[in-house]
Amino acid sequence: MLEVSNLRKVYGPDPHAAPAVDGLSFAVADQEFVCILGSSGCGKTTMLRCLSGLTPATSGSVVLRGKPVNGPPEDMAFVFQDYSRSLLPWMTVRRNIAFPLRYKGVDRRRAAELTDEALDAVGLAGRGDRYPWQLSGGMQQRVAIARALAYRPGILLMDEPFASVDAQTRSGLEDLLLNVWQRYGITVLFVTHDIDEAVYLADRVLVLRPPANVGHEAVVGLPRPRNQVATKQEPEFGRLRGELYAALDGRPVVA
Amino acid sequence: MSRRVLGFLLELALPAALLIGYGLWAHRAGSFYFPPLDEIFRYFRELWLFDRVGSDLLPSLARMLAGYAASVVIGVGLGLLLGMYRPLRVAAEPVVEFLRALPAPALIPFSLLMFGAGNASKVFVIVLGAVWPILLNTIDGVRGVDPQALDMARAHRIPPGARIVRIILPGAGPRVFAGMRTSLAIAIILMVVSEMVASSNGLGYFVLEQQRSFAIPEMWTGIILLGVLGFVLNWIFLRVERRVLRWHRGARGLLAEHEPAAGAPSSLKKTPTPEKSDA
Amino acid sequence: MSLDGAATIDARRGTPAAGARLPPGRAGRLLASRRVRDLGLKVSGVLTVLLALELCSRVGLLSRDWFPPVTDTYAELFRLGMGRPLWVEIGRTLNGWAIGLALATLLAVPFGILLGSSPAAYRMSRVVIEFCRPVPSVALIPLAVLVYGVGLEMKVFLIVFVTFWPILLQVVYGVTDVDPVVRDTARAYGLPAHARFFRITLPSAAPYIATGLRIAAAIALVLAVTAELVVGAPGLGQSIVVAQSNAQLPRMYALIIVTGLVGWVLNMAFQAVERRLLRWHPSQRQEESR
Repeated sequence: MLEVSNLRKVYGPDPHAAPAVDGLSFAVADQEFVCILGSSGCGKTTMLRCLSGLTPATSGSVVLRGKPVNGPPEDMAFVFQDYSRSLLPWMTVRRNIAFPLRYKGVDRRRAAELTDEALDAVGLAGRGDRYPWQLSGGMQQRVAIARALAYRPGILLMDEPFASVDAQTRSGLEDLLLNVWQRYGITVLFVTHDIDEAVYLADRVLVLRPPANVGHEAVVGLPRPRNQVATKQEPEFGRLRGELYAALDGRPVVA
Repeated sequence: MSRRVLGFLLELALPAALLIGYGLWAHRAGSFYFPPLDEIFRYFRELWLFDRVGSDLLPSLARMLAGYAASVVIGVGLGLLLGMYRPLRVAAEPVVEFLRALPAPALIPFSLLMFGAGNASKVFVIVLGAVWPILLNTIDGVRGVDPQALDMARAHRIPPGARIVRIILPGAGPRVFAGMRTSLAIAIILMVVSEMVASSNGLGYFVLEQQRSFAIPEMWTGIILLGVLGFVLNWIFLRVERRVLRWHRGARGLLAEHEPAAGAPSSLKKTPTPEKSDA
Repeated sequence: MSLDGAATIDARRGTPAAGARLPPGRAGRLLASRRVRDLGLKVSGVLTVLLALELCSRVGLLSRDWFPPVTDTYAELFRLGMGRPLWVEIGRTLNGWAIGLALATLLAVPFGILLGSSPAAYRMSRVVIEFCRPVPSVALIPLAVLVYGVGLEMKVFLIVFVTFWPILLQVVYGVTDVDPVVRDTARAYGLPAHARFFRITLPSAAPYIATGLRIAAAIALVLAVTAELVVGAPGLGQSIVVAQSNAQLPRMYALIIVTGLVGWVLNMAFQAVERRLLRWHPSQRQEESR
């Protein structure tokens, strides 16, 4: 599905400046849920921007379904951390979701169908005529997810999407995301700095170490569907958590 | 209920006192320059209902609106261009700063040479004065558009034209309107000034002409009409702005269920820097 | 939790943060080279405009009858700048400007403080303010001429009447916009009323007053020039009209340029003061980081 090899990104004109991303390689399989775990300032955002084609990489390659990524690919949708800034306050919820579709060549009727379906999937049916600022933070982030879903992407890139909502809302959004991921059969690449969140959501967790390369990889064998209480009580959950904590810290991993 | 009535009366007390005070004083003083109110009103009715509406008021309004509309189109268009391309903005900065600081009435002689004494020269002067606040505010508004909204648009492959219309322009909207509000006042002022120089009709011409022939009450009617005109146009503008920028006040949490009637007017709610005012 | 964990990891290992990726020396050099490039852009922008005007005039695209070549205008400007009369005219314009602005400030600041600190007073005068503010100031020129003649007094009256409002409104806003937490803190520490006013209200309102003054200064200049132009009070505006009626076109354009330069210099000066007073204000900090 997605193959990243030897990605390197240096900001500015000076090629010898310290790179933000250096020697990053990994692959994501079709319909896989991969979490990328990294501390703040380790180049997560730069990496995502390179993957999505928003920022050109200095060297290396990103290949999506066999095609190299040079600009934002059609098959990809993006959910940002700051929902209040990626939703447009001058458009209603419904317009926010529908308007990227028009430029994808979707006709008006189909766009309305996709919008309704996506709103329904995130549990916001009937709120389409509100404005984003009339909704709570968690609801706004659900609108952002609905926009991504309505876009019908093969792969969904998420940049710490739940970092700025409170804990209660956050677990609700996590379950919602797992639900739509399975229903829509999409591939998800989810960036977070939260170990618990990564383990809870992912099939596989990649630990990023500065300057953004994969320092450790953990396969999460926890059964699905996952449950906020039961899953987090499993011994395997605790073990993975310890492993990832150590990996983040840069200590050798005790298997 | 009675509190609101009381507040309303309080607000009207000072203007009423001023008017009555002037009326009494003018009657007693019999000043040549400050005629009594009833005399002014009698002339007002004679002149402006509706004898000179077609000959002076409408031409003035037409010039003002034409100049204002041109200023909005040019200011927003140029502002988008300069806001989006940094090299262009930097290169244009000294020229823009100079022209903005140049008092527009000083350009009236130039405009007269270029266009003659017709409407074109007046509209030109209005544009030369009113375009700057719109231009500068649009530039700032465009630069202030959230980069994440632009990323979102790019990630969803929204074409550049649609990005301008759907994201950059609405995002800059509050600033564009701030500029347009300042420019409206400037456009009215320049309408009057340009009509005071080399003109044969219009409100500015009328007021100055009455003064020169010592028709004092007539002059006063013109001044009052101009005041009413400024007030009404400003009021209409605020209505439109309120409607168009509803989302903005909502997003900033200023949209109460009922608008406070007696609080500070919206024009007071300005931060000191963001508005580039100019006249 | 994990968030804290991440932060300590960063601290311990000294991970360079996004902004610190460039060593300071290099960042400084990049900034300096950018500044040089910007200066080049600005100079070329001005030169392009001047060159275009010059060419238009030389080729005949703009008629020589009313638009002489820019070089002629600048030669005249140079000649004028060397002589005394130009500076006398500038002095006359600025004289009215300064007196009017100073009087308006003296009137508007105490009034603004009163209205800003007393809601009842504000409500009482609201209708008057809202009605007087949008009145196009220049409508009063004929009245001013009647009462004061065509001299300095007329100019000053106009400027005072018009610049009073923007200053007043900014003062009212500045006084009402004192951070309530600061105000409460002062009260909690038992600061007496006059100390609260001089140590807290006035410093917080100062930047707003500066903004009002900058706006007022620009308007005052417009009015001074307008009065000179329309009714012939002595000053730059009048000399522009005289040059025009004598068909001394380069002189007329030179004087227009001088008027613009005067406005520009005044604007720069007021902006500099304002920026100094506003250093603490969040909007300013943001702008600097951009």
